[in-house]
Amino acid sequence: MTGMETRTPTPLAAASLEEAETSVVPEGRSGFLPIETNWFDRLFISVVLWVALCLFWFRFIEPLGLSIWIANAIGVALAVILIRKG
Amino acid sequence: MRKKSPWIYVPFWIVISFLTLFPIYWLFVISVKPAVDLFTTPDILLTSFYWDNYTEVLNDRLLRSYMVNSLIISSGNAVLCTTLGFFACYALSRFNMSGKESIFFWTITNRMAPPAVFLLPLFLLMTQVYRFGDFTLLDTRIGMILVYCTFNLPFAIWTLRPTVDGIPRELDEAAYVDGASPWKVITEVVFPLCRPGLAVTLILTWVFAWNEYLLAATLTNFNARTLTTGLSEYVTTTGTEWGIMAAISIFTLIPALIVFGMVQKHIVAGLTFGAVKG
Amino acid sequence: MQSNKLGWLFLAPTILVLFLFGVLPFIYVLWVSFHQWNPFAANPNMIFNWADNYRAVVFDAQFLASLGATVAFVFFAVVTEVIIGYFLAQAFMGDFPGKAFFRTIHTLPLIVAPIIVGSVWKLMTTPSIGIIPHLLDNWFGLNLNIGTSALAAFTVTVVMDVWHWTPLVTLTLIAALVSLPADPFEQAQIDGAGPRQIFWHITLPMIAPALVATVFIRLMDALRTVDEVLMLTGGGPGSATRYVGVHIFKEVFPRTNYGYGSAISVIVLYLTIVVCWMLYTGLLAPRKGKEG
Repeated sequence: MTGMETRTPTPLAAASLEEAETSVVPEGRSGFLPIETNWFDRLFISVVLWVALCLFWFRFIEPLGLSIWIANAIGVALAVILIRKG
Repeated sequence: MRKKSPWIYVPFWIVISFLTLFPIYWLFVISVKPAVDLFTTPDILLTSFYWDNYTEVLNDRLLRSYMVNSLIISSGNAVLCTTLGFFACYALSRFNMSGKESIFFWTITNRMAPPAVFLLPLFLLMTQVYRFGDFTLLDTRIGMILVYCTFNLPFAIWTLRPTVDGIPRELDEAAYVDGASPWKVITEVVFPLCRPGLAVTLILTWVFAWNEYLLAATLTNFNARTLTTGLSEYVTTTGTEWGIMAAISIFTLIPALIVFGMVQKHIVAGLTFGAVKG
Repeated sequence: MQSNKLGWLFLAPTILVLFLFGVLPFIYVLWVSFHQWNPFAANPNMIFNWADNYRAVVFDAQFLASLGATVAFVFFAVVTEVIIGYFLAQAFMGDFPGKAFFRTIHTLPLIVAPIIVGSVWKLMTTPSIGIIPHLLDNWFGLNLNIGTSALAAFTVTVVMDVWHWTPLVTLTLIAALVSLPADPFEQAQIDGAGPRQIFWHITLPMIAPALVATVFIRLMDALRTVDEVLMLTGGGPGSATRYVGVHIFKEVFPRTNYGYGSAISVIVLYLTIVVCWMLYTGLLAPRKGKEG
């Protein structure tokens, strides 16, 4: 299989070649997230989750009377946890 | 794999080719019909040719200037994107910069944006912000060349990356040992080896820029209008001048066809280049 | 190796161009999306209204319907393209007379401008003047009317997209198949594996990276389809083919409700990036870790 991996033909697949070499760079790490991430990845994931939570809140929870600020608070808390421990 | 007569594939491919070519053929059929004939019962086979649609298009000075604009914009954009993309790929491939994979992904996100999203901000930025005295980027060729980079540059980086990755690093290093400057290494060692990949990228970005419509329709008024927008003018403003529209389409198609034909041999080679190199 | 500063220097022009024409417009859209702004309304000023636009978007039935239509369109188009593209690529692996010629013909749709594709398919499918409804009626007695039937319009947009983009899938898959080593296949044949087993256990795992990359690029482009559908159906009948790109273009800008339109744009961009990122990280990145 390893012999084959070096023959990856398409652009994205070929990026995987590159990754093998760059993974020595110490910035990436494994936290509780299933993938190895750097701080930028974790920030990205946090923002994505935060936005998803807010949209979900608007649609289903705010009509019940709970303020959107609760969603924001949860989002920020989640972001802090993710960035520090993810 | 299996032993069969090679000829059994041919009928299959003839059918596929027929299906592939039919819409293009139909475009041609429409372009050689007078407007009245369009509303009779359609017939697959051509019985007569009516060339007036073409002469009308050729005599339209406006369309000729649109064609020149299209040529300049797409060529400029293709060259710019391929050059920038090549240097970017070299950097991504040969240097261990921190966060470069994030940058790689970020460049691709630029292509994901639905173009309709950026019409308004680009319009405002180009009229209000990116201005030098009285010169604004709106409705200029250089403006369109730069705007098209948003979708073509990510594509160029994407297709060029395996090509550049496929050039063995040892070649660079050997050249550095011999005392070559980085510039020399890029232009004299890496560039010649990347040529097939670069050619394919150049052509594909050219075709994408040539075919773009939405941004051109919004960000140009007159001076930098392209052929595709000229095409749409015949569809929207004057109702259904299908014959003329089809004739313009054929004219739009021909340059793309010629350019694409030049690189046809390399297209798979260009895509596999990184793989073949191993 | 050379210093990383040189690397950044090579990247700088790319980053600059993409920042000026990609990121700044995005920041601007984001900023506008938090305002109520309709330059042609009674109050043409921008009024900051927190997230009211987003609050409205999640309840906008039209937008949600267009999102659903987009998902259906992208799903059917991309799946069909990958299946047909794979079979054609596999067929191109054999040797037969005129192979290069047929391959050239097969790649032709790629270079046709989307707007031309839209117009020619409109010409072919418009009832009474189009050839396709005419033939379907003559041969099978079917009535295809993209002006009234939502299903017909939807199908035609999918078929059009398949016609236009299958060649790209075929080309990338040919590139993948060509580079496969022959040994595992020979070994499997010696071991007596059938074609189906060979496909599932050898071919598919080996071309998986290429396949994912192809799906990725097609997904990205299918989600942003505007020109073709705009030309073909204009989003109709009703809102059957009003995919998000068309929705933004047709519904939002003519109404000049820029604040609200920007909010929709941000959400569309958000969804696109999330889907692509999940595909990118979930399917491509783990491979790197294991094999590297």
